[in-house]
This record gives sequence, C-alpha cells and structure tokens, in this order.
Amino acid sequence: MRDFLNTLRIEWLKVKYYRTFWILLAVIVVCIPAFNYVIYDFTDNNFPKINGQNLLGNPFSFPFVWNTVPYNAGILIFMPAILIITLFTNEYSYRTHRQNIIDGWSRNRFIAVKLTEVFLLTIFVTGVVALTCLYFGWLTHKTSEPGVGWRQTRYILYFFVEMLDYSLIAVLFAMLIRRAGLAMGIFFLYMIIEQFVVSLGRNKYKVTWVDYLPEEVADRLIPQPFGRRMITPVNNALWEKHVPLYLSIALLYIIIYIFVVSWRFRKSDL
Amino acid sequence: MAPILSLKNISKSYGRIKALQDVSFDVPDGSVFGILGPNGSGKTTLLGIVMDVLVTNAGSYRWFGNPPTEKQRKKIGTLLETPNFYHYLSAKHNLEIAAAIKQKPVSDIDRVLKLVRLYERKDSKFQTYSLGMKQRLAIAACLLGDPSVLVFDEPTNGLDPSGIAEIRELIIELAAAGKTIILASHLLAEVEKVCTHVAILQQGVLIKSGEVSSALSQEEWLELGSDETEKLREVLDRIPGVKEIIRSGNHFQVFFNTPSPEASWLNRFCFEQGIVLNYLQPRKKSLESAFIELTNNVSN
Repeated sequence: MRDFLNTLRIEWLKVKYYRTFWILLAVIVVCIPAFNYVIYDFTDNNFPKINGQNLLGNPFSFPFVWNTVPYNAGILIFMPAILIITLFTNEYSYRTHRQNIIDGWSRNRFIAVKLTEVFLLTIFVTGVVALTCLYFGWLTHKTSEPGVGWRQTRYILYFFVEMLDYSLIAVLFAMLIRRAGLAMGIFFLYMIIEQFVVSLGRNKYKVTWVDYLPEEVADRLIPQPFGRRMITPVNNALWEKHVPLYLSIALLYIIIYIFVVSWRFRKSDL
Repeated sequence: MAPILSLKNISKSYGRIKALQDVSFDVPDGSVFGILGPNGSGKTTLLGIVMDVLVTNAGSYRWFGNPPTEKQRKKIGTLLETPNFYHYLSAKHNLEIAAAIKQKPVSDIDRVLKLVRLYERKDSKFQTYSLGMKQRLAIAACLLGDPSVLVFDEPTNGLDPSGIAEIRELIIELAAAGKTIILASHLLAEVEKVCTHVAILQQGVLIKSGEVSSALSQEEWLELGSDETEKLREVLDRIPGVKEIIRSGNHFQVFFNTPSPEASWLNRFCFEQGIVLNYLQPRKKSLESAFIELTNNVSN
C-alpha cells in the first residue's frame, strides 16, 4: 500500500508543474457550475409559469437537482476525457512510458497507477458535480420538507459510473492511437457515430439493442430531467425497472476496458 | 561469478522482418561490453528486450544470474535510443521523477547534473535544451544513485566533438571504477577506445562475441624506411617470421606470421645489418577495418 502511494506521488510529480493539466482542470471545475447556471437561468426565465410554478417543474430544486446537475454535467463529459487523453498520450509522445519501465516500474504498476489516476479524476469531477447540486439546491430553496434534500442522491453514483465509462473509452483510444489530436478526434467521432446509430436504431428501426451501446447505456443511467410533468409515471417505472440492467452493463463495459487496456500494455511492445 | 547479463536464444520479429535471430551471449562483470553493428542490425531492439520495453518472440535473459524483475532495472542506469523526459518539466524535476522510480536519493541530483555540466541549467525546461544537452541529461539520469551497471545506447548521439570526448572519458572513468558498461554503438572508433568485450550483430544475427582481441583480429605490422631503400629490402628478407613485405612509396610494411617484434628490436637488427632507419612506426588494423572485413566476409 505504501509502495503504491509512493507510485501515486510520482504521478503527482508529473502533473504538479504541468500548466495544461491545471488549466484543463480549472476549465472543468468552472464549466460544470457555469453551464448549469446557464440552463438554470434559461429554464427559470423562458418557460411559462402556472400558479407560480414553472412548466418544467423545478429541476434545480431538491430533490430534482440531483438528477438535473449530473445530467447537464454529462453533456460536458468530453472535457475530462480531453484531459485524460492528454495525460496518456503525453507519455507516448515523450516516450516516458518506456523510460518509466526502464527506470524500474513494472508494466503492471504503470498501467495500474494510470488507471488509478483516471479513477481519482472521476471522483474529483463527481465531487464537483455533487457540490454544484448542493449549491443549486440551496439557491432555489424550493422545498422545506425535511429529508427531501438528500433523496435521489443515487444520481451522483450514476454520474460517477457514466464518467468512468467515458473516461475509460478515452483511455482506450489514447492507448491505441497514441497521438493526442488524433485520439481526441476519434473520441468525438465515436461519440457522434454512436449517437447517430442510437437515433437511427431506436427511432427508425425500432431496435432496443442500441440502448446498450457503450456510451448510450451509461447515458441512460441519468434520465432527461426537464418537463417532469410531461413524463408519465409509466416511463418512470420503466426506467426504474431498467436501471439495474443499465448499471450492470455499464460496469461490465468498465471491466472490459480495464482488462483490454491492461492486457495490451502488458503484452505489447512499448 | 554469474555474468551480469546473460542472453539465451533471443529472437524477435516485426511481422516478416526478423530483427533478432537466436542471439546468445554473456556480459561479464566489470567489462565494457560493446554491442556493434550497422544501423538496423538489432542493437537497440536487443537492449529494448532486456529492459522490458520490447517483447521477445523466443528466448530468455537473466540479469545478475536471475530471471528479470523491475527491481533489477532500478539498479541499472539506462539510456535507450533517445532521451525520454517530460518536455514541460525542468531538468531537476525530471530527475526527481527518475530518482523516485529508481528509489534513489533526491540529494544525488545535483551531483549528476554537475557531472554532465548541466547544473547551471537545472531549472530550465527540458524543451529548451539543445540535442546535446538532452543527451547529457539522459546520461545524468543513468548515473543517479551510482549504479554498478550502465547501459548506453549510442550515448554520443547529438554531441559535439568535445562532448563526445567528455562522454568517452566518463565511460573510461566509470569502467576504471569497476562498473559494468554495456555500450551499443555504430561508431567503432568510439568503441575501440573503451571496450574490453564485443558482440557483433548484423541483420539481427550475432556474428561474433567475446573479448575484443579474440572477436576481432586486429592485425599488427611495422612500417619502416631508410635512405638505402634497396639495401633495406634485402635486410628485411632476412628477418625471421616475416609473412609479407609490401612496398609503399619509400616505406615498407612488414607483416609477421607470429606477433610483431618490438620496434626497438627491429631497429637494432637493421642497424646491426648496416642500415640506419629514418622511419619506424608500429601499426595496428583499426577496429573499423577489422569490423568491415568481418561483416563483409559474413555477407559474402
């Protein structure tokens, strides 16, 4: 354990003086609340109010805010992916992934600490999302019912799974492509292509397997939060019924990514 | 005593290209071991395999008599192919990372930076360094913790003549201090000055390995001249053990079946025969000529 903490300290030395890392991290930290504020402002001022209540409900009040903020943050999930691709491809372009091994790390240790870094970044961003939820929940003060504020916090866990899923796809592309620009381009292309396939499959060909594609299944963990009044209880119940399946498949993808990334790094020429 | 590095039947292919074929040799403790070969002969591939950044198709190797582990690599200072550092970090911060991985004290960083004359630039970012400075930083990283084994792959790449001479001196000093040095190079003049042992690779095949003197026969001869050229020729014919005499202008090159006699003996012999020499020079075939001869023979 102490040995691995020392390994993590070395990863810290790599990013401690890396300006790009801190800039990208700051962009993520600022953009999550800022983007949510833009949506909050838009939903608050652009929809008709019935008996003083917004047509869309109060998506930024407790407990709905736990759904709304992670959903909006999910739209920005490409930002941490850019950071992850940068950190991984740096090792390849500087050939330091080789040097770290030459200097005395095992291949297992290198890939384990890199994946831990992704895991820690995911926890950090999830923490930012959770704090943003609390901020907007308290900002709106739409409920005084005791205990309501903490209901539906499970969406934070779902956001963690969603981000981990996307982040590991980014790791996979970074490792296979090795060049930052190209890896980011392919990552975005894949996002668009998958969405295209999902739209086509679901709406035109009426097939359900598209719901279980790598990114779509993680997206489905956090349903669209706006216009709750228009969502029928049947839809809610259907989503609720599917959540364990979505979660299981997303976790299965995560395990597969970790396995593929680790196996490739251990077995291939560096 | 177990060899520092022992290779057994190492083979490596890139698709249909065979980069290494069945290579086996031992690197003795305390030797300066040159791995020679032209570009593309498999030198870097071989070192990449023993440093675990490339995977073999067949064969095995042992460090310090044991199967390879990451702990062993911490005890070896290695410069493989290019200096690999984080471009956005300073020399000092880069060496902090290297020292932390090797589990060597950070206090050693200043010493190695001074040794390669980079101490004054220790806070400059790696990306601002010239090619020669990058190479010197890589050598500094190798020297962290004063390892007993050093692996240098083309260590003088990108260095100017004085830099090359400095690195050569450094290698000689390290060898004198009892370090085992594995040195891959295609610059034979560089190897000739420092190596005790060699392994010669050509197109992935090991042609020869062993002590420099036995692996590469560096023929010796004497070159001499006198004002009385014709008389000198007659005298030279009377020297015992002469294999061949070649006239080259006013001088003669005398080759022997046995090891060449001392120049002083030959001088005395000629004088006793009434010849005063005006030129006398012992000669030895350069490693480069011996290497080219050997590799040409194998190619043919």
